Amino acid sequence: MAVLIRRLEEPDQVELFDCGDEPLNNYLRRHAWTNQQKSSIGVTYVAVDEGAPRTVLGYFTLATASVPRAAFPKKHVRGLPPYDLPLILLARLAVDHRFSGKGLGHALISEAFKIALRVADDVGCRGIIADAYRDRIDWYARYGFVALEGCAPSGPERLFLDIRTVRMALKQA
Amino acid sequence: MGLKSRQPKKPTPLPRARRKSKFQADLAPAEDRMVRGLKRELQLNSNTDFLSDAVALFRWAVGERKRGYRIFSEATTGERKELVLPRLERVAPELELPRVEISWTPRELESLAELASKEPAPPTEALIRAMRG
Repeated sequence: MAVLIRRLEEPDQVELFDCGDEPLNNYLRRHAWTNQQKSSIGVTYVAVDEGAPRTVLGYFTLATASVPRAAFPKKHVRGLPPYDLPLILLARLAVDHRFSGKGLGHALISEAFKIALRVADDVGCRGIIADAYRDRIDWYARYGFVALEGCAPSGPERLFLDIRTVRMALKQA
Repeated sequence: MGLKSRQPKKPTPLPRARRKSKFQADLAPAEDRMVRGLKRELQLNSNTDFLSDAVALFRWAVGERKRGYRIFSEATTGERKELVLPRLERVAPELELPRVEISWTPRELESLAELASKEPAPPTEALIRAMRG
C-alpha cells in the first residue's frame, strides 16, 4: 500500500470513513470540506492509497491560533517573547479502524509536524496544541506532547509540543 | 475421425494499459547536445532509459512540491540552492492555515506559559523518526 497524504478534495469519498468514533467520523463526513473551503476554520489533510486515491484512510485537521500576551498570568510572561504567542492547532487526527495498526497514525502526525514547521518558518509558530482523548494521551506523549494542567475533568485533554523540539528532531533525523 | 483445420491464431493485442507508446520530440541543436552529454555522463544507452529516468525525477519533484515541500541542493559548506520552476509552483498547495480562537482556562494558560517559556525538551525517538523521510 503506497500512502499519499494531501489536502482534502471535494470528490474524496468520506462517507464510508469509520474510525470507531462518531464525532470524528461526523466531522470528516459533514464538516471538513465546508470548514476548509467555505468557513476557513481548518484545513484537513487526508491519507489515501495511491491505488484507490479517493478513499480516505485517515485524516487530520490543522488551524492556527494565538494567545494574546495580555491573557497570560503576569508572573509567567517574563520568559515569553514580547508578542502574542502563535500556535498551530492539531484539531483532529483519526485513522479508519480497518487500516489501524499499519502505521497510518504515525504517517499522519509526521506530515502534521512537517506542515507545522513550514508554517513556523513562513509565519511563525511557538508550539503545537492538540486536543486528545484521554485514552490517546500516551500515543501523543511518545512524540513529546505534554499535557497542560487545568483542563476540564471531562472531555479531551489539551497537549502542547514546543516547535523548537520539532526543529531539533528534524536536525537529528 | 476427420481432422479439423486450424485457423492461424491472430496475435492477442496487449491491453491498452500495457501498450507502449512512442514519444518523439523535436530538439533544438543545443538541447540535443545536452541530452547526448547527459546520456554519456549517466551512462545511459537509449533514449528510452533517459526518458524513463527523467520522468521518474520529474514525478518525484512534482510529488514533493504537491505536498508543499521545497526542493534544495546543499553544498558541503551548508550553502543551499532552491529549485524554483514556475511549472512546479502550479502544483504547490497554498500554505495558509485558517486562524481560529481557542478557549482556555486560566490554569491552562498558566501551564502553557510555563511550558513555552522553558528551554525546549529534547525530541523523543518517535518524533525524530517522524521527521525522517
